[in-house]
Amino acid sequence: MVDATLAAIAQPAQTDPDAALRARRQPLARRRYALEIRQHMGWRRQALILAAALLAGLAISAAILVAAGVPADELANEFVMQTFFDGQNFRAVLFQAAPMILVGLAGSLAFRARFWNLGLEGQMIWGAIGATAVSMWQIGPEPLRLPLMFAAAIGCGLLWVLGPAWLKIRLGVNEIISTLMLNYMAANFLLHLVYGSWKDPKDNFPYSPQFRIFERLPELGAGVSSAIVLAAVVALFAWWLVGVSRAGLYLRFVDANPRVAHANGVPVRRTIYGAVLLSGAMAGLAGLAVASGQEGRLTQAFYQGYGFSGILIAFLARNNPLAATVVALLVAALFVTGRSLQVFYQVPFSMVQLIQAIIVVCVASSDFFIRHRLRRVGGEAVQ
Amino acid sequence: MSGGIVLNWLASTPDFAVPYALAALGLIISERAGVLSLGAEGLMLVGALAGIGAQIAMGQPAVSLVLAMLAASAVSLLFAVMVIWLRVNQVIAGLALVFFCQGLTALVGSLAEWTNHATGGIGAMALWPLSLLPGAGRLFEQNAMVWLTLPIFLAVAWFLSRTSAGLRLRAVGENPQAADAAGIRVTVWRLAAVLAGSALVGLAGAYISVVSTKLWIAGMTGGRGWIAVGLVIFARWSPWKALVGALLFGCIEALIPQLAAAGVQLPQYFVMMTPYAVTLGVMVWVALSRRGADEEPGALGQPYVREERR
Repeated sequence: MVDATLAAIAQPAQTDPDAALRARRQPLARRRYALEIRQHMGWRRQALILAAALLAGLAISAAILVAAGVPADELANEFVMQTFFDGQNFRAVLFQAAPMILVGLAGSLAFRARFWNLGLEGQMIWGAIGATAVSMWQIGPEPLRLPLMFAAAIGCGLLWVLGPAWLKIRLGVNEIISTLMLNYMAANFLLHLVYGSWKDPKDNFPYSPQFRIFERLPELGAGVSSAIVLAAVVALFAWWLVGVSRAGLYLRFVDANPRVAHANGVPVRRTIYGAVLLSGAMAGLAGLAVASGQEGRLTQAFYQGYGFSGILIAFLARNNPLAATVVALLVAALFVTGRSLQVFYQVPFSMVQLIQAIIVVCVASSDFFIRHRLRRVGGEAVQ
Repeated sequence: MSGGIVLNWLASTPDFAVPYALAALGLIISERAGVLSLGAEGLMLVGALAGIGAQIAMGQPAVSLVLAMLAASAVSLLFAVMVIWLRVNQVIAGLALVFFCQGLTALVGSLAEWTNHATGGIGAMALWPLSLLPGAGRLFEQNAMVWLTLPIFLAVAWFLSRTSAGLRLRAVGENPQAADAAGIRVTVWRLAAVLAGSALVGLAGAYISVVSTKLWIAGMTGGRGWIAVGLVIFARWSPWKALVGALLFGCIEALIPQLAAAGVQLPQYFVMMTPYAVTLGVMVWVALSRRGADEEPGALGQPYVREERR
């Protein structure tokens, strides 16, 4: 009895403003749905939503391409048939995929440590510069040249990200801005080299002299470069690192909550440094994959678009190394298609970037439907 | 003779400083409401392209600049929907916006054939009594947008710190839960801040294409949007400090052509690195001095999820 009275006294104070609010917010029977946080969704429905988002992104992109003057029937032919079912084009996709996979892995590793490494392009440039320096100055005997180029690419990529990593961990300097600024500085340094002392003396074009045959990533036969094997090995390593090793466990702790991780004895700083430096090293390898695997020399704009693609690949793959490899293959296919559209229909190559951005917008937005749901509240809630 | 160089340098500084100033001011509006706006680089490109398009079509700089503001606001609506309603991570949404705008502007610019299409700009406007000063008078012959930048700053600073609407906007960025409880509509204020801020960022971009260089090239903002993002951190979200920072950057950028004209031999690409190096240096300095660390809007970068309110 007393309890009931107490409850009656206590209740109105709590419920009345709420009810008043509800009455005001739902004047007619219009607000019959309320948004609420969804606790859990089965992976099947998640996959369905993801697929729908991807389809929506592709549909919007297709519409833009058609508006830009590509015939609609040619589009499907170009992307699906020509890219995946034509031997030569499929090899082109694999060729293009190697640096894509590497930058995608680089992005996902850094993002796992909550470090927004937007400096992938800068680290890639430095990786390529390091590899080219070994070739230019003919460091080491010929059979050791390629391993030395690997070491230089890894070292340079790693060093270029060390600065922002240190600034972020020690001083709390925003890594988004610092890594981006370092991209622009690396790009200008590259121009300084290829327009300056590293210019090819043969024809005076702004690129370095060609690498010798033993400085190139070898072909495996049938036009498949070993760069894709390199990428696959690094992907397996990343999968082991993230999924199996102790460091991967630490990374998951740090990703979830650095403070709690620290309290539980996880070496937070070392884990972040490790992930970020490895990320730089992988981006450096991507630079080597382009310079030594594709172009055969240091060129002035080889890096363009890779940084963005790396970030988007990591995001779409939710920082999962194996998923990143698959997404990178698809982005590589998009690149190859983009190049052929550029040749045949004069669609600018920036279209590739636009399509990537549209797909990311769609997928990012679809998260909303995974994390929330609309619940019917019905008319009776409004009295 | 060196006095002439210094005067030339100072006289050309505002032209370099205005895009930084306007973009940083736009970002301050948005970030004061708690929305981290990393898309500035992209929105500047949209403003630059829309401005030059309107300029080629109509040749009225004032109309072009206004249209550029509207275009940037319209594109930022996409970002606003993502971060305010769909609660997408603001970093991812901002980056996606930059990629989207870079692709879109390059596509539209080349399809419409606006690339490298020279247009007429706006002429200098002498600030009358001061421009008659012997020697230093040249400093007061700037284009109308330079003079307009000052009242824009005054208006925004006054709005943010002296009006109740500005107080609401800041409350939304500081503590959205409390603001909501006080009856301030968080989503509406955030949307308004993003749209208004983006308009200024678009104006900054249009200044580069319509007023300064008078033509369009894909990716012509060349990282100025990112520098503006850094500038806001340097300015601790205060408009006046952002203006000082923008002038500093303008001074540095304006010095480069002056030195080249004076025959000083500098390695060209190292000189082109300086704005980025200075931005980096400024960020480090801010971190080292740790001044006003508490001035950062409390809810910057966090989506407001009403259903999770406690």
